[in-house]
Amino acid sequence: MADANRTVYIVDDDPAMRHSLAWLVGALGVPVETFASGEAFLGVIRPDRPGCLVTDVRMPGMSGLELQDTLARCGSLLSVIVISGHADVPMAARAFRAGAVDVIEKPFNDQVLLDRVHEALEKSTRAAALQARKAHVQARLARLTPRERQVAELVVAGKPNKVIAAEINLSPKTVEVHRHNVMEKLEVGSVADLTRLLIETD
Amino acid sequence: MRTMPRPSRSTLAGALVALWAGLAMVDAAAAEPPVRVGVLAYRGGDHANAAWEPTVRYLAERFPDRGAEMVPLDLPGMDAAVRARSLDFVLTNTGNYVELEARYGVTRVATLHSSRAGASGASIGSTIIVRAERTDIRDLADIKGRTVLAGDPDAFGGFQIAWGEMLKAGVDPYRDLKELRFSGFPVDRVAFAVRDGTADAGVLRACLLEELAAEGRLDPARFRVLAPKTVPGFDCAVSTDLYPDWPLARLASTPEDLAKAVVVALFEMPADHPAAKAAGYEGWTVPLDYQSVHSLFRSLRIGPYRHLREVSLVELAREHWEWLAVGMLALLWWAIHSLRVEHLIKVRTAELRAANRDLVHEMAERRRAQEDARERQKEMDHVARLSILGEMASNLAHELNQPLGAIANYARGCTRRLEAGTGNPDQLLEVTRAIAEQADRAGQIIARIRNFVHKRPSQLEPIDVNDAIRAAVALCEGQARNGNVPIILSLGDDLPPVPADRVQIEQVVLNLVKNALDATTEAATGPSDRTVTVRSGRDGEGRVEVAVADHGHGMSEEARSRLFDPFFTTKAGGMGLGLSICRSIVETHGGNLRATDNPGGGVVMRFVLPVANGAPPSGEEHQHHG
Repeated sequence: MADANRTVYIVDDDPAMRHSLAWLVGALGVPVETFASGEAFLGVIRPDRPGCLVTDVRMPGMSGLELQDTLARCGSLLSVIVISGHADVPMAARAFRAGAVDVIEKPFNDQVLLDRVHEALEKSTRAAALQARKAHVQARLARLTPRERQVAELVVAGKPNKVIAAEINLSPKTVEVHRHNVMEKLEVGSVADLTRLLIETD
Repeated sequence: MRTMPRPSRSTLAGALVALWAGLAMVDAAAAEPPVRVGVLAYRGGDHANAAWEPTVRYLAERFPDRGAEMVPLDLPGMDAAVRARSLDFVLTNTGNYVELEARYGVTRVATLHSSRAGASGASIGSTIIVRAERTDIRDLADIKGRTVLAGDPDAFGGFQIAWGEMLKAGVDPYRDLKELRFSGFPVDRVAFAVRDGTADAGVLRACLLEELAAEGRLDPARFRVLAPKTVPGFDCAVSTDLYPDWPLARLASTPEDLAKAVVVALFEMPADHPAAKAAGYEGWTVPLDYQSVHSLFRSLRIGPYRHLREVSLVELAREHWEWLAVGMLALLWWAIHSLRVEHLIKVRTAELRAANRDLVHEMAERRRAQEDARERQKEMDHVARLSILGEMASNLAHELNQPLGAIANYARGCTRRLEAGTGNPDQLLEVTRAIAEQADRAGQIIARIRNFVHKRPSQLEPIDVNDAIRAAVALCEGQARNGNVPIILSLGDDLPPVPADRVQIEQVVLNLVKNALDATTEAATGPSDRTVTVRSGRDGEGRVEVAVADHGHGMSEEARSRLFDPFFTTKAGGMGLGLSICRSIVETHGGNLRATDNPGGGVVMRFVLPVANGAPPSGEEHQHHG
């Protein structure tokens, strides 16, 4: 499973370039998959799949940048490296804005590319881990009742139980029960932990 | 103008003795001068003496008191003597007599009588003979175009009478015969020549044939007489009328009495008198009518009528002076014309020579100018090609970067695996092959570029336009991919070869395709319109047509009118030379280049080229217009 998460995807319309890139990246010992177009790639990839995408900018049909945008919109966990025959500033800016790990201009140094691929895989892995954690927190948050959710937010805001009870017209005793339930459901031991968790999920 | 004498048997010695005796008697008896008789000595004086001296001696005997004297004379001598009246009588042949009669008024007093003479007394005629077996010569008209032999042109019986007869038969012996020859003396040769076949026909004095036969010298059966005539009392074969024999004539000055006495004396000569025998006659008879001889001579225009020939020329001139004048004028005109023509020829020749010099000079100049123009055009084309390649440089670089980048990737991937010791030989083999493939691909791109910009003389050869289109489009592929404008090829598969310069046609297509790509890229229309289409096919006239269609913004009116102007451009980076050079290239190939609107938006650039078997422009023409 770890290997699958480190897959490098290569999208280039030039068969020779595609094949040679796969060969080069394959030297890293990671799985490599190649696609002749962005459309073909989108038809296969799942958004929650981490990994590294290496794509050419200029291709017939969907361009590399369009592919990057589409993936971003889908919340893809892939880290993207853009390769360009002749990169210009607007193009590079757009790529970076969309979260590209790097924009590499041909001809490139193979070490740079491989470093970036490596980097991208790490980043993607991290992002995947974060994503997983977020999902876990969200799941726990989902267990809270609305009243409990309200109490949790007020706790994080730093208000004592009495103030909370007054604000929401409950008895301090009831607030205490809700507070206890929140800590239990979210599996946190302290107000500090609770605060960090809620910030993460925002 | 003489008849043939009869052979004489008298001896010269005897005659001389007799003459001397006679003269001595005259001297002794009379004071009057002897009778002078001029005798025509046509075969020399000796012969005349032998033949006629006995006759003169006979006269001398009859005039013992004055005697007679014989004067042998040739024809001119006879004429001179008669004119000088130094003679009393002349004894001459028929022709000469007629002449003397006409000229000096001599009068015949007696005519020789021949034993063979016909009833009229006439005995001179001609016999025209051929070999008996010559069936192709049946009458006188048949001797046209043949060879005829006669004794002598002046012989009366031996030629002239026959001449007259031939004229009557429509044959002029001097004009219509293949050849007219004369044997000269002895005239026997005529008969022998006919017998031996060296002549087709022969003219003989009448009776000569019979005489030769009598002497046993030839066989008369071997001959046939042409146009034989029957004359009562004349038993020789003859082809003509008969004419009188030699006459004795008195001069006008001769006394009447003497003439009478001489005539009487001659008439009284017995037939067997030695004098008659010596000269071969049988006595004398009344003078015959010589009018027939006059007629003959007049028709032949000889003898006394010779002048008819000479006069006739003058008369002819007098009669036809207009024609002569016209002839003279024509001659004069011709002479002047000739001179004028010669002069003109000289002048024209000089002019032509000068013009030729100028022409040669001019041609050299023109050739130089053409070479210059060609050189300039070549430079221009080359610059245009460099220019368009310059505009395409980044695309071409990108194009080249693809294989180079691939090679680099392959190579480094290999290096890493080898360093790490993870290289699988099968994989490495596959990849090194891929490296070589990509190196080839890069080489091809470079070769295409180099071909395109290579400076070279323009050369016409039959090319497949589709090849040029594919080469041009290959150079544009980088741009097409980068601009994301696919180039759609729709090439006719039955195009005839076109006499063209391949690189120049490639240049035209490249220009048009590049323009189309630029226009389409700029226009940023919907994805379905982002194509450039290149079509090839044949137009209505059978020429090869190439059309490049884009989906750009199309042309403004100004752009349309100035499309082919040099240095007119709507592009930021363009030089404005492309289309102007495209058009000049197409036109020098005998074709044309037009721009029309694409119905779906954009422009269609279309050019046609004549095919080889149509009316291709010659190579010369191509180069001249450059």
